[in-house]
Formats: sequence, C-alpha cells, structure tokens
Amino acid sequence: MRKIYTVATLLLIMAAGCKKFEDFQIDPNKSTTATPDLLLNTVEQSAFSVLDLSAALATRQMVFTNSVSNEQYYGWTRAGFNAYSNLRQVMKMEQEANRLGKPEYLPLVKFFKAWYFLQLTNTFGDVPYTEALKGDGGISSPVYDKQEDIFIAILKDLDDANAAITSSTTAVQGDIVFGGKMIKWKQLINSLSLRVLMSLSLKESNTTLNIKAKFANIVNHPDTYPLMTGNGDNGQLTFYDLQGNRYTHYNDNDLQTAYYMEETFIDLLKGLKDPRLFTFAEKAPKYSSLPDNDFSAYGGVKGSAPISENNDRVVAGEASKIKSRYFNNPVNEPSVALGYPELQFILAEGVIRGWIGGNAADYYNKGVTASMQFYGISQPAIDAYLTLNPYPVTNSLPAVMTQKYLSSFLSGGWQMFYEQRRTGMPVFDVSGAGVLNNKKIPVRWMYPETELQNNQQHVSEAISRQYSAGDDINALMWLLKAE
Amino acid sequence: MPKHGGVLLCILLSHVFLQGFAASARIDLQKVPCSVSVQNKPLEEVFEIIEKQTHYSIVCMDQSGLMSKKVNVNAPNATLEKVLQLLATQATFNYKCLDNNIIIRAAAAQPAEAPEEKTVSGKITDAKKQPLPGVSIMVKGTRRGTITNDNGDFQIKVQEGDVLTIFFTGYQSQQVTVDKTNTYQITLLDDEKKLSEVVVTALGIKKEKAKLGYAAQEVKGADLVKARESNVISSLTGKVAGLTIHNTTDLFQDPEISLRGRKPLIVIDGIPDQSADLFKINADDVESMTVLKGASASALYGSIGQNGAIMITTKRAGSKDLSVEFNSSTQFQTSFIRIPKVQTSYGNGFKGQYTYIDGSGSGPEGSGWIWGPKLDQRDATTPSGYFETPQFNSPVDPNTGKLVPLPFLSRGKDNVKNFFRTGVISSNNISFTKSGDKGSFRASASHIYQQGIVPNTDLKNTSFNMAGNYNLSDAFSMNARISYNKEYTHNFPETGYGPTNYLYNLILWTGPDIDVRDLRNYWVPGKEGVQQRHYNTSYYNNPYFQAYEYLRGYNKDNTFGSVDLNYQFSPSFSAKFRNGINEYGLNRNYDEPKSYIGYGNKSRGQYTVSTGNYFDIVSDLVVDFNHTFSSKFKIRAQAGGSNYYRNFKYGTSNTDGLTIPGFYNLSNSASPVLATNATEERRTRSFYGLVDIELYNALYFSVTGRNDKISTLPVANNSFFYPSLTGAVVISQLVKLPEWFSFLKARGSLSRVSSGTLNDNDYTYSYLPSYSKGTIWNNTPSLTYGDVIYNTSLRPQTSDSWEAGVDTKFFGNRVGLEVTYFQTKDYNNIVSIPVSLGSGYASRLENGNVYQRRGIEIVANANPIRKGDFRWDVMVNLSTYRRYLKEISGGGNRLNYLKAGDRTDRIFTNVYQKDPSGNVIYNTNGFPLADNFKRFVGNQDPDWIYGIENSFSYKNFSLRFLVDGRIGGMIYSTTNQKMWWGGTNPGTVNAFRDDANAGKSTYVGKGVVVTGGAATYDGNGDITSDTRTFATNTQAVNYIDYMTNTSNGANNNYNYFSQTFLKLREVTLTWRVPGKWLKGTFFHSADVSAVGRNLLLFSKMPNVDPDAGADNLQTPSTRSMGFNVNLKF
Repeated sequence: MRKIYTVATLLLIMAAGCKKFEDFQIDPNKSTTATPDLLLNTVEQSAFSVLDLSAALATRQMVFTNSVSNEQYYGWTRAGFNAYSNLRQVMKMEQEANRLGKPEYLPLVKFFKAWYFLQLTNTFGDVPYTEALKGDGGISSPVYDKQEDIFIAILKDLDDANAAITSSTTAVQGDIVFGGKMIKWKQLINSLSLRVLMSLSLKESNTTLNIKAKFANIVNHPDTYPLMTGNGDNGQLTFYDLQGNRYTHYNDNDLQTAYYMEETFIDLLKGLKDPRLFTFAEKAPKYSSLPDNDFSAYGGVKGSAPISENNDRVVAGEASKIKSRYFNNPVNEPSVALGYPELQFILAEGVIRGWIGGNAADYYNKGVTASMQFYGISQPAIDAYLTLNPYPVTNSLPAVMTQKYLSSFLSGGWQMFYEQRRTGMPVFDVSGAGVLNNKKIPVRWMYPETELQNNQQHVSEAISRQYSAGDDINALMWLLKAE
Repeated sequence: MPKHGGVLLCILLSHVFLQGFAASARIDLQKVPCSVSVQNKPLEEVFEIIEKQTHYSIVCMDQSGLMSKKVNVNAPNATLEKVLQLLATQATFNYKCLDNNIIIRAAAAQPAEAPEEKTVSGKITDAKKQPLPGVSIMVKGTRRGTITNDNGDFQIKVQEGDVLTIFFTGYQSQQVTVDKTNTYQITLLDDEKKLSEVVVTALGIKKEKAKLGYAAQEVKGADLVKARESNVISSLTGKVAGLTIHNTTDLFQDPEISLRGRKPLIVIDGIPDQSADLFKINADDVESMTVLKGASASALYGSIGQNGAIMITTKRAGSKDLSVEFNSSTQFQTSFIRIPKVQTSYGNGFKGQYTYIDGSGSGPEGSGWIWGPKLDQRDATTPSGYFETPQFNSPVDPNTGKLVPLPFLSRGKDNVKNFFRTGVISSNNISFTKSGDKGSFRASASHIYQQGIVPNTDLKNTSFNMAGNYNLSDAFSMNARISYNKEYTHNFPETGYGPTNYLYNLILWTGPDIDVRDLRNYWVPGKEGVQQRHYNTSYYNNPYFQAYEYLRGYNKDNTFGSVDLNYQFSPSFSAKFRNGINEYGLNRNYDEPKSYIGYGNKSRGQYTVSTGNYFDIVSDLVVDFNHTFSSKFKIRAQAGGSNYYRNFKYGTSNTDGLTIPGFYNLSNSASPVLATNATEERRTRSFYGLVDIELYNALYFSVTGRNDKISTLPVANNSFFYPSLTGAVVISQLVKLPEWFSFLKARGSLSRVSSGTLNDNDYTYSYLPSYSKGTIWNNTPSLTYGDVIYNTSLRPQTSDSWEAGVDTKFFGNRVGLEVTYFQTKDYNNIVSIPVSLGSGYASRLENGNVYQRRGIEIVANANPIRKGDFRWDVMVNLSTYRRYLKEISGGGNRLNYLKAGDRTDRIFTNVYQKDPSGNVIYNTNGFPLADNFKRFVGNQDPDWIYGIENSFSYKNFSLRFLVDGRIGGMIYSTTNQKMWWGGTNPGTVNAFRDDANAGKSTYVGKGVVVTGGAATYDGNGDITSDTRTFATNTQAVNYIDYMTNTSNGANNNYNYFSQTFLKLREVTLTWRVPGKWLKGTFFHSADVSAVGRNLLLFSKMPNVDPDAGADNLQTPSTRSMGFNVNLKF
C-alpha cells in the first residue's frame, strides 16, 4: 500500500513539473518584433535586384535558344503581384519605425512604396493602391485605383519623402545601399521623381499632373531637390562573394549555354564602334581567332527569328555568348536600379522636350561617359567614342534613347522596355517569323489569375473600365494615351 | 483499501434480490418449455441442463452446498415453472426470475461453516499458448466474476470447492473446480464456429472483433517477416481495405500512408508514436498490426488519433519453456519491373550536332540535350567507317593539340545494367522467450542490411528489444518494454528530379553514345579532388563521382518503450499507470565534393551537418472497472487522465566552400560557417472516459468522451471536449437465421474529434506571427515578415464522422463479408484562405471551409476448399474514397480552382487552348497556343484500391500470393515529361526527328489555327462569346523545337497518366519440416520459404511504377526474390 502512495506522490510531482500552457504561446525560434533596419535590408535586397534576363530578351539584347521564350517572342500573358509581397516588408518597416519612434525610416518607406507601385502600375494599369496592404486591417479584397490617381500619389510621396530628409535627419541603420548617407537617399528620391515625370511624357497637357512644371521645379532647385552627381550616387546593390550575396546570375547554366547576344543589339554596338561590346559579349566561336577588340569577331542571332533558325546559326558558331564574367564572377558588377547615366539621359530628354533649359549635349556626354566608366572603359576610349558619336543637333532624341538603351544592358530591370513603350525608341525588331502576338510588341500584362479567384469583382471592374476588349496584352493603359 | 470489495458488492446485490422476492413473476416461467429427466444428479448439473434448454441463466446466491445436493426429477415435456417447483421442493430453495436470470436461494438459513475465502489467480490462453484477454470468469452459482487482463491473467476471490465457469465467444466453455492450489493455467479450446478474432483497440484494450462498432482489420506479424519490405508498414500494402500505401521505389524513403485519405497515427503497444519512424520497428518483433479505421476507433487517443490508427503490438513470451526463435530472410533485387525505357538511336547534342569542346555544354556541345546525331552511322570517309566527332574521352592529338574524333556509336545501350548492381535485403533475428508463474520475458536482437542498387549505397538497421511482465504481488503487476534501434548508412541515394538523381545523370541526360564504364575514373587527371571528369560539367554529374564522393550519411538512434503498472484493487476494479517514451538522436552529414553540380550551383565543396534530438513522453493514469454480471451482461468503464509532452531540438550547420578539397569538417570552411537551430515544444493534457456495455452476447455499446487542453492554440480556445458512440448488434445471436447464415452483425458509430494543429508534423508555432531570418548581406542582418494574416482567436478544428457496416459469415464461417460506409464532415478547419495579394498577404489562417470525406470499404474472405490436407483461403480488400469541398468560407464562390461541391482532388494545370470540338489551337508559329487559364485535366484519387490474397496449404507446404493495385486516378509523370523534352523517349525516334537533325521543319502539330474572330472570357475562364473561325494547322515546325517546347503535352494529356495498375506484390512458398524429422533434435520446428516481392507489374503508365502515387523521377522499380528460414528451438 505504501508503494501505491509513493507512485501517487511521484505522479503529482511529475504533473507539477509540467510547463504551463501560457508558456507555449511564444515562438522561441523567431523574433516577434523587428527593428526597421532589419527590414530595410530585406527591402533593399529585393528592390535593387533588377538583373532580369527576361527584360534582356524583351528589349532585344539577348536571345534564348532552348525553347520558345514568351518574352523574346512577345507571346506573354499574365504577370504576378509579387511586388505587394515586397510592399508588405515596407509596411512592416513603417510599423516598426513608428513603434520605436524612428522617423528617419519614413521617407524611405515612401520611396519604396513609390518604387513598387510604379512597377505594378507600369505592368498592369490600374492596381489596388488606397485599400492595398491592409490585409491585417481586414481588407482582403482591395479595390483597384485608377492609374492616374496612383501616379499622382506616387509623385506626392516622393515629394514628401524629399522634404522629410533634412541635414539633421538621423542616419538609417541596416542600409546596404548607401550606408545610411541620407543625402544620397534624397538624391535618389528626386532622381526617381524625374524618371516618373518623364515616364508621363505623353501626359504633357494634363493640367492636374502638370509634369512639365514639376520636372523643371526639381531640376531648377538643386538645393531643395538634390540629384545624383555621379556613378558613386547610383541606386545600386553591390554583390559579395558570400553565401546568398553573390551576383544574381553567378553559376547560371542557362545563361552560359542557352542565352546568346541579340543581333540587332550587337550590330548597334558594332555600328557605333562601342567598346562596351567587349565587356558585354564573348567573341563568336566562328571568329574566336580574331583579337578581342575586333568588332567583327562578335555576332548575334535574331530575337525575332524562329528558334530553329537561331539554333542553326548558334551551331554554326555565329553567335556571341554573354561575357563569361556574368556567370563566372561571383561579384561581377553591381545591380543598378536607378543610376546616374539614366538620370543624365532623362535630363537630356527634358531639355529636348523643352521642359527645362540647359545643354542637352552636356547631359548626353555625361550619361555616356558615366555608363562607359561603369564598365571600366578607359577615358581615352570614351573620348574617342564621343568624338565618333557626338550628340546630334537634329533628331537628337533617338540618339539619347539609343544611349539609354545601350546603358541598360542587364541593369534597370524592365525600365528600358517601358521607355521604349513610351517613345518607340529604339525600334525593337519584330520582322522575324518567330514573333507571336501578330507581330506586335505587347504593352502590358494580364492580371494574375489569383486575382480572378480571390478578388474577382474588383479586378473585373478595373478591367472593364480600362480595356474595352478585356484583359489584353495589347490594350492601352491610361499612361500610354497621349493627352 | 476495500479488501472485501467483492464481498460487499455481493451482499449489496443479495439485498436487492431479497427485497424483490415477494413479487416474483412466475407466470412467464409457465410458458417456457422444459424437459428434464435425471436420476441422482447434483443440482448443478440439472441447472446446466435447464440452461441449455432455455435461454435462462441460473444463478445461485449462496454457498451452502445447495448446488451439490443430488436430486431426482422426471418431468418430460414440462414447463420451466414445473421443473423448478419440483427441484425447489427436493432441494429446499426459493427461486425468482429476474430478466433472463433465475436466482436461486436456499430456503432455510443453513448456518453451515463457510469455507475460508481466498484469492486465486490464473492465466487463460488459447491452444497456441497465446494469452486471451477479456475472457469472462464466473464463480458458478454466484454473480461474481472477473475478466482477464491484456496478458490473459485474472484473479478472483473464491472458496475452495467453488466452480469457475470460463466462457469466451469463439471458444469452448470450461469449468474448473477450485482446490487447494492458488494459481491456474487454463487453456481454452477453439470452438468450431470461431468468431472471436481479438483485436487491439485504443489505449491497448483488446476486444473481440465481433463486439466492435467500427471497422478494424488485423494483420498477423507472421505474415510480414518472410517476403520483406525495408519497413514494416509497407508490408501492409493490399492487406487492409481503406489503407492506401504509396510504396516508393527509392531506398530509405518513407512510403506515403493514408487511411481513409488521411495519415493515421502509429501506436506501438498502446503508446502513440508521433515521430512515426517506419523503419525503427522490426517486423520480427511484431505480433500483429491492427488498423483502426475511423475516428471512433481511435477517439481515445484524442486529436492525434482522429485519422484512425495503426496499432502495432509487439511480441511477448507465451509458453513456460524457454523458446528460441531464429528467422533469417534474404532477398535479391535482380531485375526491374519498371525502368525508364530510353531510345538508343540518337546521342548527345542538339539538332543533330555534337562536338565535345570542354564539357561546359553550349554551342556544338548541344546545351546538354539528347537531341544529337544518329548513332552507328556509316561514314566511309572516317578511319572507323562510322561518323566520328570529338568526344569527352577523345585523346588529344599531340601534334595539333586538338581532340581526336571518335566514332559515334551506341556504346551506352546497357548503361543501366552496367551501373546498377544487385540490391540485397537481408534480415536476421533471434529471440528468446520464457515465462513463469510470476511473469514472462522476451528479448530479441535483429539486424537488417540493405544494399542499394546504386553502388556505394546501403542501409543498416539494428534493433534490440526487451519486453516482460511480472506480478510484483497478487494485485500489483508490471509490464515493461524497451527497444533500441539504430538506422545508419554512410550513403544513400538522393531522390527527386535534378542533378542529384542517379537516373537523371545515368539515362535521362546521358546519351547512349556514352558508355558509363568509361566514366569509372571520375577525376580529371591532375585535378583530383577538384574537378570531376564528365562529358558535361555544367548540368550533370558523373554517376560514379556522385556515388563515391557525394555522400549522405544518416545515423539515427531510436529508443522507445513503456512501463505499465497495474494495481488490482478488487477483481473488477483496477488502476493502471502507464508511461511511454519515444526518443531519438539524429546525425546527418552531406559531403559535397568540389565541382559537384546542383541546379545553378557548381560546388566549391560543401559540408553540412544536421542534428536532431526528439523526446516525447505520454503518461496515463487510468482506472478501470469491469464486471461481468452474467454471461449476458458485462460492463467495462474506464476513466483516465493523460499528459503528453514533446521536445524537439534540431539544427544545421554548413560551410559554403571547403579550403582543402575532400576534407569534410566545419573547421575547413573557407567562409564563415552558417548555422541555425530551433526548439519546438508542445503539450497536451487530457481527461477521458469510456463505458462499454455488453448485453446478451449480442448487443455491444461503447461511449467515449475526451477533453483535451493543448498548447498549440491560443490559450482562450485551447480546451475542448468531444464524444463518440459506437454500437454493434450481433443479429445472428438474437434471431434464428438459416443454417448457412452463420453470423450477422450490424454496427455503427458516431464520433466527433477536434484538434488544434494544422498538421502534426507542421512547425509547432506556425499559428503565431513572427519574423523570419532574411539573407545576411555582407554581414548586415535582415528579417522578413511572412505572408500570412493570423487570427488570434483560432478555434480547434473538428471532424464529425459516422460509419455503418455489416459483418456477415456464411456456410460455417467459410465465407465472410464485411462492408463499411463512412462519412466525415471536417469543419472549422484551420486553413489558409487565399486572399488578394493586393492586401499585402497571400492568405489568412482561419477556421473555415467545410469538407466531406466519404468512402466504402469491403473485405471479403472465403475458404472455398477444405478437403483433407488441402486448404485454400482467399481474402479480398476493396475500397474507395472521395473528398469534397462543401462550403467555402468568406462568401467566395471559389477556393483557388474549386467550387463548392467539387472533389478536392481535381487537377488543374497549364494547358493549350482548344476549339469547341476539342482540337488543340496552334499559334501562327506552329506551336500550340497557351491557355490563359489553368484547366481541369483529371482527378487524382483512384476510383478503387484493391488487394487479393490467396493462400493454399497442403500437408507441409503452403503458398501465399498477394496481388493488389489501384484503378483510376491521375498522376503527373516527371520522368515521361523529361524524356519527351530531352530527347530520350523512344517515341521521339521517327522521321520528323531525322528531318529536324537535317535542319528541316516538317512536323505539323495536330490541331487548328484561328483564322479570324475572337473569344471573350469571364473571370472564371469560361467563354462568354466566341466568334473564332478555325482552319487546320499547316504550319510545320522543327520536330526538336516542338518537343523541347511542349514535352509532347498536347498529345499526351500534359504528361498526366492513369495510375491503374495490378501488381503481383508478394509470393511465399513455405515448406514446414515434418515434425517427425525433428524428433531427437533440439529443434521444435523449422520452415523454409522461397519468397518474392514486386514480381510483376501490369500498368499502361509508361516508364514509371505508379505504385509510388507520384513520379518525380523515381528510382527504377525492382523485383525481389529470395528465401526465408525460420527455426524454433
């Protein structure tokens, strides 16, 4: 009997040793709070990673030979809403900054909101904006805002962000792009404002937007609106030879074996005797015995040609591969999201359009020089190039756009595609038999299928108010309708 | 403690009867026919005669020797009333009828000295010395009785001279007179009409199957040891209706088990094993496995048991003699029943071109495709007389420094045969058992060695097992078991599609121009340890390099066991305290040599170590009351409390590059070592109870209830109650059925089970919002926030189930049929409800959606021939299962692609557009036109799952074979898709391919092109208007381009195939050495078997064994043959 009591006592002791249920309500392996710097790092990593090979296909800079690429042959359909996922991190950064009383992060919050909503609206047209990102506030099927309203809001956010950064603003932490130098953020914010305003060039007469005046106001008030002053101010992500920090296409087998340079792009570089060709491409196998700096050693295949035609030419050794550093060098070059050369070309276009005064040739030269410096071209070579290809007095916009195009190789994400969509410059080749979509370059993407499932009413409203023919890749969004 | 509890109860009952005596209803007894003629027989025997003639039990209330009084009665064709009156007069007693009992009490108080009361104990076994639990023991002439426990043991308070009546359905009743001895070994003999299959039910309670209100099926351990599988659960394939086992062909991979569509709980000797390691249990130690199919069956395990349970009962000692058993089984995997059949006509390359340059795989090297030149082509201009091209093994011409062209021949036709080796699975087990008056003991040791078909791969599995029980005192007994198991291998193959898969490197992406034997030296000379030698070093790995240098070690130590303490307060009242633990320590290592190819990863040499430590303990305190009031009324009640605690700690460390090649140690890391670790803890506290009632040996009811409090829900909602009710009616006991209709039972159950975790194996804290670690950028840390909106007031999810079934037996039990229908409603499911990504999130974690699962299970068995020494038995299992989405939460009309009412296994995939008559629409470029919406292509779940087992025995020979399979249901085949895509599918050998190699575009896809008009779609993808006009597609394309773009999807249902198959799963031919040969030797018995597994496969699905239920480039399916020897000493 005593033994029974002993067992009972032991049982009680064991029961008393148990952890309380309340104590299990915290995840011991993860943090439930964050500081904004930790989120800023995450946001920067994704926002500044813009090395998209699809964009290189769509902008006729590269060609894929393994199968029919929808980007290359303009047969794409839907795009995704992943930018909202990145915006969630931005929103969390905002929440944590407010919680901890760190207002220095808030201008960056506005910048990144502008950054991602631009991507979204450029891709689709109308997208959820005012009701977006409120899932934890109970809005799980947000309404779609008109593209015009989104652009107005983006411009306002950027303006506010610029105003919010002063010389006394505390430096942000966790900043892997600018190391907390707030003036550089200010420069980037204003440079983005100019990019946005220029992207609205078809809306020159829209008085609500008043883009011309806004553009001029920024350029003419460098004290209030400082801009990037050189490649050192580029909004770019630098890679490191550390796990997860390497160049996006490091070790990319497809890039090594199935991507080739596009012929019109190579021909353009060859025609201009552009030394950047030697940093972009390898010699074609057929001409491998020629010296590296011989322009005729390089070739490409046509993005518009049927795949079998390109295969034949590849097998014949006519096509250049991308320079091996793009897949062999773990660090390679930074990923430039918005750089100084692009800013100079925007300013040159501003002068050409008469939005601002100043010397367009000067901007052009600075842009070309900065782009070539980025690729390590020597100053004498740059000078020689500018002598050979000076800023043209007449018909100067195509030259500016061409230089913008050349400086966009594996940089800036889809920006160059949007620039071409806006200006038609340079012309992307659709002459080949492989091009889909009735030989048209699509001007947008269809909304994601998940929206039809989870937010059908709002997406349907947005489609019907914008596009009479339905959700179509050839339908013109508000942005592309001149007024 | 109430030492005289039994006596008290008896007195109490007597009191009740005395009160009732005045108003006895004798009228009924006059209607009962009774015919008795005896001379000088004890009253006891007369009562037995009466009991046999009528359905009344006669219970004697006192011990005055009344029963041994001898009487004379001559009353043919009388009534029971008349007979009793005659007897009462002679033997002087009063009697009374109470329900179906006749209570007898001596008329006059006889103060004769009562013999001293004592407690006797005993063990009841069957003829095979297996203990019988749940056997009723009554003291004859009293209402006192008890039931044997799980070990067949019982104790009862009696007086010398009392007669114990032992009855158990399915066995012949027996009577034992108590003498001076205090322990009794009683063996019950089989009744010819054997009904009683004893099965293990929840909490380890053994019950006769005939009494269950739900479906359960048992498989004997003896059926599992001969034709071996590497894990014991796979051996259940085809043997249990409703249990689907997707057997993987890969070495050391868990099969996917689902019972009625969900993963069941694994229970070992009453202790749930949620770590569910199927490899840690050795089949040699398994006495039986019982599959409890529904929620009712396992409701007592709580939430974790809601999907049914597989109850594994391990072996215990039986006989008193020392018994040594040795079992040895060896099987060889000598051939394949299904292997990807690749073409051997064309080699590596692309568009008919191939020139090896440096293995980087581009340009004339063909990007790694198998769309190269035709092999064995005559060419008079070359030295060999065949087409020649530089290849990876070409010598370098010392004069030119260039590679010397070699003939392009089909040298790699037998790569599979040349690379794979014979797999072996060998298992040896020895066990020792002995039992005595006080207890029993069993110890066993076993070792399983499995040699993989891939060189340098294996799996070893060693177990030690000890189990015993001991009666510490008359009332206090103990039952304990401990098992230690080690699973270990220095290398086992990686699975899944990709450069880590052997088939990927061996046949899918190695053209038949390459003889794998040429790759045996796998280092580039001079670059040993740094660069592998292969024909393509940017996409693929040399299979030998992979086998000998890319090593995946696995070391797991499992310890699991339990200790039960049982205290018998009185014959009907006991308490049990049970503790069970599961523990493991796991160490894994991943050695990745320099130059190893992963996707987009040319390794710089990597080393990863991962460890895990798991511990769980469940403690139950259960009080048990069981009482047999008569053979027609038994009750068992249990109430208990339980506490479950789990602790799981794990971590991983890895380097991102080794400084010294081939030295696998974290200290050899070139850059900082990355490491993570985590701890997960959970707890469940429960109270539960059950009441089982048995009436008239025909009506069985069971009610259970359980309240759980769990740690994986918000505290406000973490406690919940759920009940179950089951019932069974053995109609054949109540109603006179025709002679051939031996047995008929109807059963039904209702249950509710709630649970509070998304999935038991999910991350424990997945219901709590938190930040995850992001990528550290140049030493700056980061965090990310996940895409789930958390509901802070999640409630438990609940399943309400019911099932109904009929069990029948015919022709003296020679034919049997059991049919079960079940239906389950799953609601308040903790589910991820997708939301618009515009909300910033992907889903809400909510209680919501209603699903219904339902299905039918049929088990039939027959014994068509039983003649002399020959016997033939057949068993057939057949089942079907469906799951439907019934309601969608949040008012949406769709959940992803499903509408309310749809089956949930509908497959939607990216397809090509079709015209109204079903023709594929082609684009202007000659390739099929992608649809903007995913479309339905088939259902995933099979229509039927079946198994048929035949066994024959003749004298000393027995033969068993099992076929099983599935009918219907689609699976996606990665293997087939990649074969069409990559150029290895035999279907790609045709004239179009030759044209394509010659640079000609001659392939015209079968379908139409749109010549005008347009179609408009609504948001669901349905066409709202269609003005399109069509013409037949005439645009020719290059065949190779067509295949590399479509993988033949337009002609091949997008590589979804029906998984219908039939497999000859198991054949065992056993010869038992005749007993007379063993006389004089120390062997008790010996048998030898020839065995085979997976002998034949019939399936229309090409290249893949559909048994696995999925195909992500599976290991070829092997055929096993071997032998088994079993010796008993």
